[in-house]
Amino acid sequence: MPVTSTAGAAVARATRFNPRVLAAGAAFVVPLLILLALNLRRDPHAVRSPLIGRPAPAFSLAPVGGGAQVSLETLRGRPAVINFWATWCVPCLEEHAALRAAARHQRDVQFLGIVYEDEEARTQAFLQNRSSSYPSLMDPEGRTAIAYGVFGVPETFFIDAGGRIVEKYVGPLDARAIAALVARARDGAP
Amino acid sequence: MNRITFTLLGLFALPQALMAEGARAPDLPASNIAAPRGPPLSGAELDARTQHVGALLRCPVCQGLSVADSPATMARNMKAEVREKLAKGYDQEQILAHFERSYGEFVRLEPPVRGVNWLVWLGPLAALLAGGTLVAFALRRPPRDATPPALEERVIAASTPGLPSRDTLPGDPRLAAAVRRARSLAYGWPHGVPPKHPAAAP
Repeated sequence: MPVTSTAGAAVARATRFNPRVLAAGAAFVVPLLILLALNLRRDPHAVRSPLIGRPAPAFSLAPVGGGAQVSLETLRGRPAVINFWATWCVPCLEEHAALRAAARHQRDVQFLGIVYEDEEARTQAFLQNRSSSYPSLMDPEGRTAIAYGVFGVPETFFIDAGGRIVEKYVGPLDARAIAALVARARDGAP
Repeated sequence: MNRITFTLLGLFALPQALMAEGARAPDLPASNIAAPRGPPLSGAELDARTQHVGALLRCPVCQGLSVADSPATMARNMKAEVREKLAKGYDQEQILAHFERSYGEFVRLEPPVRGVNWLVWLGPLAALLAGGTLVAFALRRPPRDATPPALEERVIAASTPGLPSRDTLPGDPRLAAAVRRARSLAYGWPHGVPPKHPAAAP
């Protein structure tokens, strides 16, 4: 209709872009868009552990199936690998064989499992079925997992002979990753 | 206007400079938390404080939930630890710092006012001020030019000659039906048809 088109043209003329307003708006919006684009694909949970380079949090926990408590202090003097795991966690089961083999071959390194939110009976049955070459400890109220800043399982901490955390590995480990990180834990010794 | 543009640009350059420096938390003592700073709590006060501090902690295994709100086992464990520490007399900041040592600043749902976090606290205020300044400038400036008529005048001038009469209907049948319905509702004309004698019209 002719009426509408004339009115529309008048409106369009009146609201045509003012370059200075446009520049001011772009100064606001463009940096925000850049920030958004840079961080859109970042996992907010993928934060670098503040514990790396610091002394490993102390613990004293009973092994699965009972027995004498194992504490961090008893590990002092040699590198340690602490693996948080659970029987309900499929990637943990995948890495179990690699950890078991590494613990068998590297006798100077203490490997330890810490059970994360799992039942003792199920864990014990699993360990009997699959066999293990290193102890797993029960963490009844999850205090140790919290102290180590665990977000999920599997997560593995590599600790040097001085008790300092050298690296934290998130996700299932394979033989090569274990070898590389254990080497770093050995070098980290004071 | 240029000054405002520069201010706005500066507003964004600042946080990026801070971010380059790194938003690492200040060095926290490696040892466990020191002596309790507050009085030991119990009863209803302990419950209330546990809820309050739990609401300030992020549940690490959840998506954007606080420890107080999450039913996850880890959140319940953390809440139990908060409660235990409050009962011993540790204060809120000591407890938050304790969890921050393990999980980093991520665990705090309320970002502490330091480093790049200043932006979170002051950014909205700065944006409001900047916007207000822009609006104030725009309002104080005299009308751009006297010669072109105001927008409304132009719109009216453009549309008056062709203003439809009261029984004009658009060509599109659906639109025409809608106009009739609107007329019947607005003027009380049956079926939207105007009365024959203009004198009788409302």
